[in-house]
Amino acid sequence: MAEMVRKTSVGEIVNHWILAVSCILLIITGYGFLFQLKPIGNLFGGFNAMKLLHNWAGVVFTLSLVASMFHYLRESLDFEPDDWQWMKVGGGYLSHKVKVPPMGKYNPGQKLYYLAILIAGIAIAASGFAIWLLPNDRGVRIVSHLVHNLSFALFIIAVPVHIYLGTLANPGTFRIMVYGTVPVDFAKKKYPKWMKEIDKQ
Amino acid sequence: MADIPNKNGRKAILVTPEVCIGCRGCQTACKSWNQLPGISTKNSGSMQNPPDLAPYTYNIIRFSELPSETNPVRWLFISRRCMHCDDAGCMKICPAPGALYKTKEGAVAFNQDKCIGCRLCVVGCPFDVPRYNENNKIQKCHLCYDRIAEGLQPACAKTCPTGALKFGDRDKLIESAKQAGYAKIYGEADLGGLGSIFAFKEEPKIYGYADKPNIPESVIFWHTVLKPFAVIGLGGVVAASLVHYLAVGPHKDEEVK
Repeated sequence: MAEMVRKTSVGEIVNHWILAVSCILLIITGYGFLFQLKPIGNLFGGFNAMKLLHNWAGVVFTLSLVASMFHYLRESLDFEPDDWQWMKVGGGYLSHKVKVPPMGKYNPGQKLYYLAILIAGIAIAASGFAIWLLPNDRGVRIVSHLVHNLSFALFIIAVPVHIYLGTLANPGTFRIMVYGTVPVDFAKKKYPKWMKEIDKQ
Repeated sequence: MADIPNKNGRKAILVTPEVCIGCRGCQTACKSWNQLPGISTKNSGSMQNPPDLAPYTYNIIRFSELPSETNPVRWLFISRRCMHCDDAGCMKICPAPGALYKTKEGAVAFNQDKCIGCRLCVVGCPFDVPRYNENNKIQKCHLCYDRIAEGLQPACAKTCPTGALKFGDRDKLIESAKQAGYAKIYGEADLGGLGSIFAFKEEPKIYGYADKPNIPESVIFWHTVLKPFAVIGLGGVVAASLVHYLAVGPHKDEEVK
């Protein structure tokens, strides 16, 4: 077996899946509420039960989002000159002919994705709690309803793209969120600057 | 959303504040028919009692002392209740199917078993009507849908001694009010036409009603833009991913430099 390098800790993997499962549950139940979809309501035991699930999945999602900040926030804010070049060539996703600059542990697409999820996540959580826990303040609720739905719009665009990029579009990367390790050869090609940093070159 | 009832079959309550004597028989009849308990209130220095709509108060007479130039003791009475909008903001925003529904007479009725207690209808309502009881379920005027389905009048209109509340075919009520000399009927066209319509001689404002009642802009934006986007957007990115996979294809090992 090829020599492996650990890219993701067990804690990160566990938290990623808590965040992912709660997020997808929230999106599914969210669609149920948005369009009054009875089949989705029935799936979760009626709309009253679905509301409970939606609210408490929101609590799990919020806690998991807070935990994720310890994993990704610092690196997501760290933009390098190569990152701008990466953005210019679209990360090599638009054509295989362009030259993609060497990347560190995360590419700027991943960094921006995390920041977008973090900001929209905070917005959707705060507005969700306002709708749940401030039943009598109409002004706050009007704003919260809008913010909740605007951030929902971002989630339903960003999450499917994230799933596609983490699976089909990048063969060999999905195992990072399952085992946390990748073959050293693979990592040297994909994250050369990070491999230098951890001295595996 | 429930289908919009045939305009011709639509019923309404016509309120003529000028004729109202402030007896509050409508309040009592409403409580009586709907078996709503009386709640003790405090004297606030006004005849208006209870002070506002409440879970067990579906309608009130609003009293306001508003002296005018010609009348130093002008005292205005007006019946306030659910407006039974055709384009109902509460129904638009409600996430629970069947919690709010429209009867074929055009009444916006509620089903507490279906209500999930999220109180978003309060956000959607332009008239601050929906109230929640101690079990966190919606309660409000339902135009006595149980009575009108049997060909009876709502309890409030039935009991009104002066004709300040009149129940009937919406079109006919509007026509008769116009013939009686009321040029503009409040609610004739607002929000697709209200089910509680008002024959005002004066500005709606002095009775506590906005000139142009509106569902909040943000709710309209959500309904007309964000809701369709939730379908088109998700479908779009899934399709785009698929197209990308077929047209450009995944990253290949040898290309990673």
